[in-house]
Amino acid sequence: MFERTLNVFWIVFGAASAVYAWSLGMVGPAGPESGLFPFIASVIVSGAGIILLLRPSSAAPDFPRGGGLWRVLGVIAGLVVMAAGMPYLGFSVTSFITMIILLRAVDQSSWLTAVSLAFISTASVFWLFGQMLGMALPRGPWGW
Amino acid sequence: MKWAGIAYALVIALLSTPAGAQSDPKAELAKLKPKDFPTQPIEFTVVYPAGGGMDVSARLLAKTVENLSGDRIIVNNRTGGAGMVGHSYLATQAKPDGYTVGVIASLLWGDAMLRAQGRWAYTDLEPIAYVNSDALIWVGSTEGPYKGMSIKDIVNAAKEKPNTIRVAIVPGSMWEYILDQIEANSGAKFLRVPFQGGGAGITALIGGNVDIAQGFFSEFRGYLEGGKVAPLAVASGSRMDFLKDMPTFNEAFGSNEYLWQLVRYAVVPKGTPADRKAYLAAAVQAAMKDPELIAEYRKQGVFFDPKLQNSKDLAADLNAYADVERQFYVKTGRLK
Amino acid sequence: MEAVNGLLTGFGVILTPSNLYLCFLGSLIGTLVGVLPGVGPLAALALLLPVTFTLSPVGGLVMLSSIFYGAMYGGSTTSILLNIPGEAASVVTCFDGHQMARQGRAGPALGIAAIGSFIAGTLGVIIMTFFAPAIAAVAIRFGPPENFALMVLGLVCTLFMISGSTIKGVLMMALGCLTAAVGLDVVNGRERYTFGSVDLSGGIELLAVVIGLFGIAEILSNVETMAKTTLLADRIRGLWPTLADWRASWRPILRGSGLGFLLGLVPGGGPVTAAFMSYALEKRIAAQPERFGKGAIEGVAGPESANNSAVAGSLIPVLSLGIPSNPVTALLLGALIIQGIQPGPLFIAQRPDLFWGIVASMYIGNVFLLLLNLPLVGLWVQFLRIPYRVMFPVVLLLCVVGTYSANKNVFDLWVMLGFGVGGYVLRKLEYDLAPFVIAFVLAPLLEQSLRQSLVMSPDGAMILIKRPVAAVLLAASAVLTYLMFRRRTKNEGGLS
Repeated sequence: MFERTLNVFWIVFGAASAVYAWSLGMVGPAGPESGLFPFIASVIVSGAGIILLLRPSSAAPDFPRGGGLWRVLGVIAGLVVMAAGMPYLGFSVTSFITMIILLRAVDQSSWLTAVSLAFISTASVFWLFGQMLGMALPRGPWGW
Repeated sequence: MKWAGIAYALVIALLSTPAGAQSDPKAELAKLKPKDFPTQPIEFTVVYPAGGGMDVSARLLAKTVENLSGDRIIVNNRTGGAGMVGHSYLATQAKPDGYTVGVIASLLWGDAMLRAQGRWAYTDLEPIAYVNSDALIWVGSTEGPYKGMSIKDIVNAAKEKPNTIRVAIVPGSMWEYILDQIEANSGAKFLRVPFQGGGAGITALIGGNVDIAQGFFSEFRGYLEGGKVAPLAVASGSRMDFLKDMPTFNEAFGSNEYLWQLVRYAVVPKGTPADRKAYLAAAVQAAMKDPELIAEYRKQGVFFDPKLQNSKDLAADLNAYADVERQFYVKTGRLK
Repeated sequence: MEAVNGLLTGFGVILTPSNLYLCFLGSLIGTLVGVLPGVGPLAALALLLPVTFTLSPVGGLVMLSSIFYGAMYGGSTTSILLNIPGEAASVVTCFDGHQMARQGRAGPALGIAAIGSFIAGTLGVIIMTFFAPAIAAVAIRFGPPENFALMVLGLVCTLFMISGSTIKGVLMMALGCLTAAVGLDVVNGRERYTFGSVDLSGGIELLAVVIGLFGIAEILSNVETMAKTTLLADRIRGLWPTLADWRASWRPILRGSGLGFLLGLVPGGGPVTAAFMSYALEKRIAAQPERFGKGAIEGVAGPESANNSAVAGSLIPVLSLGIPSNPVTALLLGALIIQGIQPGPLFIAQRPDLFWGIVASMYIGNVFLLLLNLPLVGLWVQFLRIPYRVMFPVVLLLCVVGTYSANKNVFDLWVMLGFGVGGYVLRKLEYDLAPFVIAFVLAPLLEQSLRQSLVMSPDGAMILIKRPVAAVLLAASAVLTYLMFRRRTKNEGGLS
């Protein structure tokens, strides 16, 4: 089921991309225009999707359920928090929060382990990159 | 005894007056430092990749400013989209709190006028100090069918045999615009081979894959010394000190419109507090007077535009240059 | 001989306590940087560039270049242990190296990687010593037609690498080409697939893609099946490569050294391309290619050697001509310029102390790195004993910081996440992700070179045949494609 959905997705995606590439222009006076290569690639994607769709599907892949699913979603949530929060809260705070989310939700550590590990890892990464290597990690509204 | 005391006091007084004392740029700068600023490193944003011409200028500047001010400066390369990503960041996202200084080039104007689509204008960045200028130079190879020819000869050859002389360009900026001008004025037609930067074009020239390359002095200095390239003409108002025999385009063609220079200057985002802006401006300007820095820059082959160096209102003078560019875009139909 | 004289000069320059210290420091930092996922030599060099201002030119350059090849040593560590690439050039090492770790053979994998790197690095420097100017003179004539032909050959080799379904592999390659098209069209400056987004106009960052597809996706897979006490390997079977390992590895190491060196010379090449091509080569000529992806030591020995000799290869154009062939060497060039030195054709003649000092330091640096990395094998292997549940958040954090370090743009983190989820899903559906990455790397240069060639040439596409090197490479690609189809149809009874 998933495979068929994905194959249909390839066909649709490839087609849409091909239309867009067509609008960029195929061939101009100086040879290929901006759209030619993407057009060819899009057609290949759609074509491959069609071929795959016409094949008998193989065994259904095992998608995560139950605990596994929650853990996967937990990691994704952690990364979303990281990406969304960094520009506003700065690296240190966001990473501390993210680490706690990950350690509690995904790993089910105790609060003590979570907070201490979060603190240690955030601090060491901040020190390693921010101080030792001199990289500018985003700072929050309170300056660090 | 009393006279000795008075004489002693007079001598001390004389030695402490400005006339007697050496003015120390570091001390002068320290006086302008606002309270609680800076408490963290200041970022010098460069919108081009590390190691390139702009990056080298910025890092030399950062080193000098750090020395003079004692503040920590970190050079940060925000690259992508041929500078567009970094310019947009500076104009729309960078916080105007004095911790971000953009060390940029006048390619900003092209991005703002042609590509920003109204989201920001180059006036969103306030100039605080002029750094240097680099003029676009055409170079030919010392081998091949066009060796030894002057710029006028080459343009004539391009007129006689259109679409045979290969010129390296970087699409969408001055490398292309100057060709538009030359072709419009002389009827010549060159074959434009696109590259990602001036340096790549010069590499192609040495390898015999193009006949003419365009770039800045620092990009081909090594080859010049090695006898591999021959400079043809420079797109500035007057001849360059380091290549006195090379004519300007304006000289060669009796015109005054072949002026294509990269102007490098420092900016802060609009809305930066006045005292911090003044401090940063003073810091960069003090660095620009540092003789070591000036010597390093001269080695890069940049020149210092006197009008901008002694400018009383840097923003206005730069805007005047930007307007000239705007008129070019309007005239060639790139801008409505 | 001139080269020997030069080398003696170089050793004279480098064998001072401060220069030796800087070489060692650079090697150490390089190894560390290579181990950290995402942070690669480019980020480290950019960050440490200001430090070199206070050093002598020789000292600064020695330190920077040792970071560059040091990272190639360290990069294999996380690839083998965690299936997460230390940097883009170590992606390929994940495929077989991690499988070896799961079989308890992390030690031999790490050992072969280190020793292969040493042999390749040293061989590369030896070739550099004797042939640098001659090679440079040839490399400079590589123009757009030759680049195009080389990229075509590279893509054809990628077809060899596809494990599993060929159709899915081709789909991934096409997708890689499409993703690479996002951003500015180099040839005419127009925006493609950016839909008005400024961030997209800069293109999609390779590091974000690699860390997402191979780092985040890996973590997601592992986390899904995690039990409280998951360890990555249940037992450690020996720390050193066995005789059988050596017999299997010595030829891939030599082949990787040669291939990597050549690919380092050309623009758009460098360690990343070299590693992928070496993997494809080894898989193609192996007696039993099915072993690849399941712990074949050739899949570690070849690529790890290739990425090290590619460093030496890429230093030749920059030091003897002043032409950088990838961003890292561009940075080294910038460092030289800041020090007031202009590399160009006269560099070797004008500053023999600097050139030969760097060359000599590479011999010594490779020795330092071998001495550093081999004993560390025992230490790294212990990492496998740390429960995954404690390790993965830290690794995740490092992936985030590593990706961020590329452009300091939070947008890259979203890209990383997107590719992470996508890669996770695609893995479940048995898509091979490697062709995507290699197409993503090669396609832009291929397109650019083709269009440049067509513009340059008075008779259109004929230029590709008229230039001998390009013609030869294209012919080789055609032959290889034919051979590949024959083999696939023979082995699998059809293109599955």
